[in-house]
Amino acid sequence: MKHPAKKYIYAHGLRMILLFLAASAAQFGYAFDYPEKGDFAKGSQAWADNCTRCHNMRNPADLRDDQWITTAFHMRIRAGLTGQETRDILTFLQGSNTKPESYEGKGELSASAGSGVTASGKDTYDSTCIACHGANGKGSLPGVPDFTDRNGRLSKPDGELLTNMINGYQSKGSLMAMPAKGGNPALSPADMESVLQYIRDQFAN
Amino acid sequence: MNIKKLVKVVTYGTLAAVSTVTIAAETDVEALSKRLEMMQKEMDELKHQIQMSASKKDVQAVRQEVAVAREWRQPDTLIHMAGYADVGYADTESKDGSFNVGTFAPIFHYQYRDLVMLESELELEVGDDGETEINLEYLTIDLILNDYVTLVGGKFLSPIGQFRQNIHPSWINKLASAPPGFGHDGAAPVSDVGFQLRGGFPIAGIRTNYAIFISNGPELKAEMEEEEGEIEFELDGVEAEGFGTDSDGEKTFGGRFGIIPFSGFELGFSAASGKVTVTSIEDGDSELLDGEAARDYDVIGADFSWQWNAFNLRGEYVKTEVGDDNGAGTAASAGADWETWYTQASYQIPKTKLELVTRYTDFDSPHDSRDQEQWAFGINYLFTNNVIGKLSYEFNDALNRDIDQDRLLIQMAYGF
Repeated sequence: MKHPAKKYIYAHGLRMILLFLAASAAQFGYAFDYPEKGDFAKGSQAWADNCTRCHNMRNPADLRDDQWITTAFHMRIRAGLTGQETRDILTFLQGSNTKPESYEGKGELSASAGSGVTASGKDTYDSTCIACHGANGKGSLPGVPDFTDRNGRLSKPDGELLTNMINGYQSKGSLMAMPAKGGNPALSPADMESVLQYIRDQFAN
Repeated sequence: MNIKKLVKVVTYGTLAAVSTVTIAAETDVEALSKRLEMMQKEMDELKHQIQMSASKKDVQAVRQEVAVAREWRQPDTLIHMAGYADVGYADTESKDGSFNVGTFAPIFHYQYRDLVMLESELELEVGDDGETEINLEYLTIDLILNDYVTLVGGKFLSPIGQFRQNIHPSWINKLASAPPGFGHDGAAPVSDVGFQLRGGFPIAGIRTNYAIFISNGPELKAEMEEEEGEIEFELDGVEAEGFGTDSDGEKTFGGRFGIIPFSGFELGFSAASGKVTVTSIEDGDSELLDGEAARDYDVIGADFSWQWNAFNLRGEYVKTEVGDDNGAGTAASAGADWETWYTQASYQIPKTKLELVTRYTDFDSPHDSRDQEQWAFGINYLFTNNVIGKLSYEFNDALNRDIDQDRLLIQMAYGF
């Protein structure tokens, strides 16, 4: 004998699904400016939040822009992402797989960060770096360096760090390289200096 | 006298006029010369510009090249192949070790804008006899209705739990084998044929995801035993591998709801309910199944995963219940339950590419001979984020000698 609740669910399951389908279809529509642009900063956070629940983080540089489109839509269906989350993640991945711009001779940027700054270091950190490096600077993904480690990454000189930040860098033991400019090609050299100063102020011991 | 004066005046006047004209002429020549020089210079510059600038033909060629590049990078229809493959080595207690080709599983993606996507995974395996077996793991056409709902139709991986739909690919699974009960004839359904609605939406700032489905459902296999001239039947297993027909005419409904209360943590609940019928008898005559009635079929499951920096913890529970057969043509009258669960922990050692893994699994079936308890320990080397070398050892405990064997497994997995 079936439980009454189960019997009810079984009897009305098809009807409920059809109703849900009808309600969903009423909102039918796809983006005509495909692929609609998402939010880079939200995308980097959504990417860090979602992907490692099931698998190792794929390096953005693994795939071309068009390959990331199908991959992102595949993951949208598989991981239950919303359309907006998918577009945000796609924007982040397509922005992060861009080859770094030539920055020859700029590796010896001075430690006097702050001059000519166009965005605050905190803004840049919160929008571009925080997804992987975490709010506490200890790293939120495997292999990401701990900024609070006294003998760690921040023990290196500014010039070396800026070069790595601008050109991208593969940490030892990390599953993927930090993309050039943290994956955000819109950042200027002044932004990079500013965010480095912010990181030192916040996390260096 | 007057004539002389006149001659003088005329002579001086002529000289003066000539001088004036000459001076004026000299000035004009100089100016003309300068102008000519400037014009020559401008002409040289123009010649240089013409030489440096592209012709209309060149511009058209560049435009064509850009158009082709754009076409290649972003047409309305995209085609992409992903997938995974693994090779390895297995050494059990009672058998000599053997190398093996595990699986080659190409996944095809065809996408038309953000409206529809076709996804299909083939699973190619080489058996112990050297024969290659090809299976269609899944094939779905996904119609993206809006930002929160996708209609998925076809043969799909079962959304009950996480392992089958998300964790089973070898480059994702941190151990070289599936946990007992989550394989192809265990407690957890593998795939189904029908329609699904899938997607995600936020509730009060908390992310959720869901999948609900209607499907043909599984089939049952019975086992025949003869003791002292008496023939007895009992349920052998639930075959939940995406059948293209609905043998009992009763559809199965089910789904999974996942909630992500905070970053890195997900909790999921699954259930399915429907009818199921015995359609085959192991080593027996299927004609005996005439009149076999549909039975109740219910599945419940729960799963969680938690990622904290380099540490990952996940677990999953699935129970499948099949009811009694109250019909007339009974091949196997008694119902049966299958139950399995596992918990897995992994940790990537900082500043290295080494990862430690351990997993405990307990699988209970209606047949004591198939029950299995397993401890698995592994160490992985992550060549890259999608190329993984695995070395694992399984301690198996079972009444059945075949599955009681402890095993050493080595696997190289590549997700592409």
